[in-house]
Amino acid sequence: MIRRYLARRLLIALPSLLLASMIVFTLPRLIPGDAVQLMLAETSYAKDIDELRAKLGLDRPIHVQYMEWMGRVMRGDLGESLWTKRPVLDELWARLPITAELALYATIIALAIALPIGVLSAARQDTLRDYLARSAAILGLSVPGFWLATLLIVMPAIWWGWRPVSGYSAFRDDPVGHMLQMLLPAAVLGIAAAAALMRLTRGMLLEVLRQDYVRTAWAKGLAERAILLKHSLRNAVIPVVTLLGTQLPQILGGTVVIETIFGLPGMSRFLFDAINQRDYPVIQGVNLLVVTTIVVVNLAVDTVYVVLDPRIRY
Amino acid sequence: MMSLSRRQLLALGATTAAGAVIAPRVARPQTPKPGGTLSLRLWDPPHFDLHAAGGLSYKLQIALTFSHSRLVKHKAGPGVVPGTFPIEGDLAESWTQPNETTYVFKLRRGVQWQNRPPVNGRELVADDVVYSVNRFMTTKGNANAFMLRALDKVEALDKHTVKFTLKEPHAWFVDLLATPMAVAIVAKECVDKFGDLKKAESCVGTGPWILESYRPNQGLTWVRNPNYFAKGQPYIERIEAAVDEDNASRIASFLAGKYDLGWENPGTINRTDWVQIKDQVKRPVRTAEYPSNVMSHISMRADQKPFSDLRVRQAISLAIDRRGILDATAEGVGIFNPPVPAALKEWSLPVNQLGEAEKWYRHDPAEAKKLLAAAGYANGFPGSLCFTTYGSTVLVDSMQIVVKNLKDVGIDAKVDQKEYGAYISTCFYGNFPSMAFGPQTPFLEPDTFLYGQYYRGEARNQSHIDDPIAGDLLVRQRRTFDVAKRREVIHELQRHLAKQQYYVQLASGIYIGVWDAALKNYGPNVGYDYGGRLVAAWLDR
Repeated sequence: MIRRYLARRLLIALPSLLLASMIVFTLPRLIPGDAVQLMLAETSYAKDIDELRAKLGLDRPIHVQYMEWMGRVMRGDLGESLWTKRPVLDELWARLPITAELALYATIIALAIALPIGVLSAARQDTLRDYLARSAAILGLSVPGFWLATLLIVMPAIWWGWRPVSGYSAFRDDPVGHMLQMLLPAAVLGIAAAAALMRLTRGMLLEVLRQDYVRTAWAKGLAERAILLKHSLRNAVIPVVTLLGTQLPQILGGTVVIETIFGLPGMSRFLFDAINQRDYPVIQGVNLLVVTTIVVVNLAVDTVYVVLDPRIRY
Repeated sequence: MMSLSRRQLLALGATTAAGAVIAPRVARPQTPKPGGTLSLRLWDPPHFDLHAAGGLSYKLQIALTFSHSRLVKHKAGPGVVPGTFPIEGDLAESWTQPNETTYVFKLRRGVQWQNRPPVNGRELVADDVVYSVNRFMTTKGNANAFMLRALDKVEALDKHTVKFTLKEPHAWFVDLLATPMAVAIVAKECVDKFGDLKKAESCVGTGPWILESYRPNQGLTWVRNPNYFAKGQPYIERIEAAVDEDNASRIASFLAGKYDLGWENPGTINRTDWVQIKDQVKRPVRTAEYPSNVMSHISMRADQKPFSDLRVRQAISLAIDRRGILDATAEGVGIFNPPVPAALKEWSLPVNQLGEAEKWYRHDPAEAKKLLAAAGYANGFPGSLCFTTYGSTVLVDSMQIVVKNLKDVGIDAKVDQKEYGAYISTCFYGNFPSMAFGPQTPFLEPDTFLYGQYYRGEARNQSHIDDPIAGDLLVRQRRTFDVAKRREVIHELQRHLAKQQYYVQLASGIYIGVWDAALKNYGPNVGYDYGGRLVAAWLDR
């Protein structure tokens, strides 16, 4: 059954991906100004602009460009950067692990904060600890990541003439330095996601704790730990997993700013520069990858439901 | 620390000489100390090919000043007053000008390319220069090729002699060869091997430092070129440049001692940032203040009504509160610009020496209204102002004050804000219906400012000017080789243009050059020649 479900979901995902590919191809071209204008910029002449546009194939009808691009994508070729002439796929392979790692750590940190505090807050509803946890969640939701990141970088420099590690070293070159570089940006990204997850965990757990089977468990004299973690949390966590899936685009979006602030050469920063330079193949390649990732993650989230709740059947 | 009070700096502004800059203190003679690592903030170059499309990027031009040489270059060091650009040989040992259209350059002997494949340290010869110049002129999409448009041909007379023949006299030709915007001398082997010079591996020059690595979005590292032709130089062993696109991060890095130079081009710190952090800097630093050569102006369709009427253009100049804009955007510190930016102090005529045209630089809305009424626009007129932000809040603030100033005299200018690329391809080339506002490319000599903007038919003649008097003076200054006489022509030209107000120039800010006190024999200046300014500097720590 699950196989059939997955196959059906994959089939549904294909038109979504196709539609997304059209959007990621078309939207950058709707932004006024193109790569050629930016390349030649202030001292160019009209003739140069036309010549370069023809050379880069940007003078052809948009549907022709799209079909050609899709043909290459199907063969695993995302084209090459208009500016650097390097293959987009190579650039992505070099940068994707950094963004993926950052997003993974952010997610781990978010869960590490959200689940224990959410459970504690629900178990101790309307106590001081609950109020503190909820206030912290509101604060986490309210504080913009870029502001928090700026404070974390600037204040130590002003107070002690010290700044957190900047730049990037690969894990294989400097494991400790690498983890130190990742820790702070991942924490900044994770805090915002943690706040939303924590609130949902608390809310869902409170709902489950009021169910009859939980009352029965209490009546049977089960330990609080078993009731909370074994019987309640598992049922409460399904919406949390759903939210986690929808948090991924937000975390990926957040990495654009965070990678810039912390000087991490990830995929998001690559995309940011590409948008500024109208580097269409890069914009298309990155967005296509992001869209595909989100589709796959959501599929995975749906699959996880079965594991979490054996009553769910597809 | 070299600094001036706000009052002193204000005194440098509108009413004082355009060339009034703070001459940097001349360093006491010291023995250069080799070694050390200089850290600074730079930018991701789009690629490494100065001759290709995208080569006009200052990010690329700056990067190549470390690794590549030119025939001639601007002198640098504490003895050079910012805003002046004396020329000295780089690869050229000497040069002569047998007639008005011929230049002969004698190359230094024994100059070696950096010892990297595919050039592998061979000797630089005249053919390399010929190849580089021809490539600069003929590479498709090289937006800077116009700078050498006067060139007819370049040829190697022998292994160490290069002859340039121009189509017409051009007194600025050598100056143009000296700017980092123009011809970097490149190796044919690199082009043959890599197809172009865009990859970091193809970045092989004869300059003082060798590009060791480029890490996109992270940084660039150069190491000392042991075979550099100036014996003993460069003294600094290693240059570490961080790509840092976040201002808070840059501030933190500077405060933490991770940058030896100010993080903005050209080794400066924005006044608003500097005011905030200068008391937090816990290490000795030196500063020098000098006018920026980035100049913004209002251009207008002088070929059409109402801007074809001189009185309207003069009224617009009177309407603009240049001082108010400085107060709002630059902590009140700046200098008024005549047609040649005040930063180019050898050529710019101070506003108070413009004669009768000086009055058009005052803020006098009442007089502006009178002029508009006399021109038949007593109730003002509607118009538009083409604009792009360049990502600068200062520019946006300036634009808003400009619009308000125009409104105050009855000119209702609707802002036509375009995206950068769209602005450059239209308004920057004069394709707008009414007015445009924005900064101009910060060249280092007056000709590209003047000829490009005021000569009939030039691409950057945004105001569509066809002025025979200006045209005659523009050609005459190019043909006047005597520097003093050329300066007179340029001064006369500025007086004429200041009266005509084809462009209404705003004031420029005053740069604050900042560098670690351990960096010795360093002199700040405008322009992108970071490598040139550091080649004879050393670190004493």
